[in-house]
Amino acid sequence: MKIKISLFFFICLVYRGFAAEPSGEAIIQKVNELLNPESCYARAEMTIVTTSGDERTFVYDSWSKNYGEKNLIRYIKPGRVRNQATLMLNHADDIWMYFPRTQRVRKLASHFKKQKMEGSDFSYEDIGSGNSFIDDFTSKRLEDGKADGIDCYRVELTRKPDSDLSYSRLIMSVDKTNYVPLIIEYYDEKDPQNKIKVLHQSDIQVIQGIPTAMKMVMHNTENNKETSMVIDEIKYNVNLDDAMFSERGLKK
Amino acid sequence: MKRILISTICAGVILCYGQTWAVDLSGYFETQLMGADIKNQFYLLHSNKLRVDLYGELNSRITFAANVNAISYHGKTKWSVPDFISAKLAAGIPEDLLPYYVLQFEDRAVLDNAYVRYSGKAMDITIGKQQISPGVGYAWNPVDVFNYKDILDPTYEQPGHNAIRCDFTLNSRFSLNALFGAGEQWTDSDKMISMKGGISRFDFSVIFAERLRSIHDYLTLDPNTQFFNEIREKRQMLGGFIDGELLGLGIWSEYAYNHMAVSESFYEWLIGSDYTFNSQTYIMVEYYRNTMGKPDDQKYTFNDWMRYFSQEQKAICRDQIYLYILQPVTDLVQIGFSSIVSLSDKSVALLPALNWSLSENLALLTYLNLYLGDEGTTYSRDLGNGALIRLTAYF
Repeated sequence: MKIKISLFFFICLVYRGFAAEPSGEAIIQKVNELLNPESCYARAEMTIVTTSGDERTFVYDSWSKNYGEKNLIRYIKPGRVRNQATLMLNHADDIWMYFPRTQRVRKLASHFKKQKMEGSDFSYEDIGSGNSFIDDFTSKRLEDGKADGIDCYRVELTRKPDSDLSYSRLIMSVDKTNYVPLIIEYYDEKDPQNKIKVLHQSDIQVIQGIPTAMKMVMHNTENNKETSMVIDEIKYNVNLDDAMFSERGLKK
Repeated sequence: MKRILISTICAGVILCYGQTWAVDLSGYFETQLMGADIKNQFYLLHSNKLRVDLYGELNSRITFAANVNAISYHGKTKWSVPDFISAKLAAGIPEDLLPYYVLQFEDRAVLDNAYVRYSGKAMDITIGKQQISPGVGYAWNPVDVFNYKDILDPTYEQPGHNAIRCDFTLNSRFSLNALFGAGEQWTDSDKMISMKGGISRFDFSVIFAERLRSIHDYLTLDPNTQFFNEIREKRQMLGGFIDGELLGLGIWSEYAYNHMAVSESFYEWLIGSDYTFNSQTYIMVEYYRNTMGKPDDQKYTFNDWMRYFSQEQKAICRDQIYLYILQPVTDLVQIGFSSIVSLSDKSVALLPALNWSLSENLALLTYLNLYLGDEGTTYSRDLGNGALIRLTAYF
């Protein structure tokens, strides 16, 4: 009996140990689930601090469905890009862009994801690549650390050999309490030691039970530029028609 | 001109407010200065364009959109065609017709687009003047029988065409589109039907279009109209396009066979590819063949040139290549370089360009157009080396 009880405590201890020390893959799986809710609508304001020190502000609506598999982004402001829209399906493997001035829809090859969103420090692959953290990288847990004074898991994501993403590796600091990635460091494609961008997420609010970073700042370490993204409005589990994620929906 | 513009905007606003439409006004003002060196004289043409877009929503299903363009031209507004063509062809022009060979830029205010759209669950119906831009090519669109792109500025907006268009959504990637544009009679009317779909990483479309083609014989005058004799014939186009990704490269192709009622039938074919490097450098190349064009410059006629300048035919030569490179220099400035090569007559045009985002709603575009071809070729020096500066303010 004593042996059985000891064995029970040993199993609990081992289980507890595993539960307290999740692997890199398990952490990234949780992050991925958090960042890709079943469906979502958001209105965000993106402000670019340009190399000349000016600020450029873009406002856009975005919708996503099927846990990030379908994404639609439509610009509201400024007038220069009003109604310009991007549709990304299959986790951004298929991309279409709509240009309202010519009313043309163009299918874009996946290399387009490398382009910057309206000259910002976010590329399309930073925004709409859905399961990229899992599909394109292998994860390895590093020593825990702190980010903005918060205890974090630190995970290194190394690009898989068959991936064409622009980053050789990422280092992510993930809040232990809610799995929000507070800091993501992006490293150069060719030089894995060269940190090229850092994303800071802050103003974490719980919206409909989901911890949500309401502010993101991407700092480009190469030219010292930065782009901030502030979520003005966000709704989860919204009812979105599949027709919205089509060429017809793109043109609306 | 001003009266038409103001009346149209007011009518739109009154209509929208009167019917409790949610109304959105936007548009841009564009001022553009271009210069060209023609036979050792440098000429200037300055234009100012105001585009006002009106968009109204009665409810989630019914929308209204319109835009009015008003343009004024200043400087050299009349350009003599014989200045641009070879001396040999110019020598053959009847002297009494010389005053007619003038390309004129006239002030105008036009209702460019104006349409109402009903959006049902699986169908959109659009009635009125609207942009019709089939095709996926950048510099040329073989399947587009409605528009003629300016090869120096191929992404510029196209004019609206009057039509009734139905777009049926069959599923998330397949749609059926039908279009009718009323002419004087049924036989003169525009008709187009297309099926668009997607399989794996590719989109494709099959298109049939019928349209009346109007060209002129620029060597004879109609005594009644005192303009060149018009030749009208039915054009039936069967074509399609495919657009997708292969081995990491963007790839697309368009093909169109044009059956002409009177003149010789012809085909157009385009194939293109693009790629974005991690350095953000974007590179694109297109090859275009149009068998209405001639295989070498010795066969170009005066009528070919006039029809090309008057946008009655898309190309004067048969085979061309378009190369485009775009590189962001800073977050606000992009430099581009285009090169257009006529394989038929071995002539080349080079267009270095600069895009500068001066502020959120103010953009500057400037480019040089340098023609390197011999006299009489598609991109001959006689077309006038020059430059363009365009400032666009959006609201």
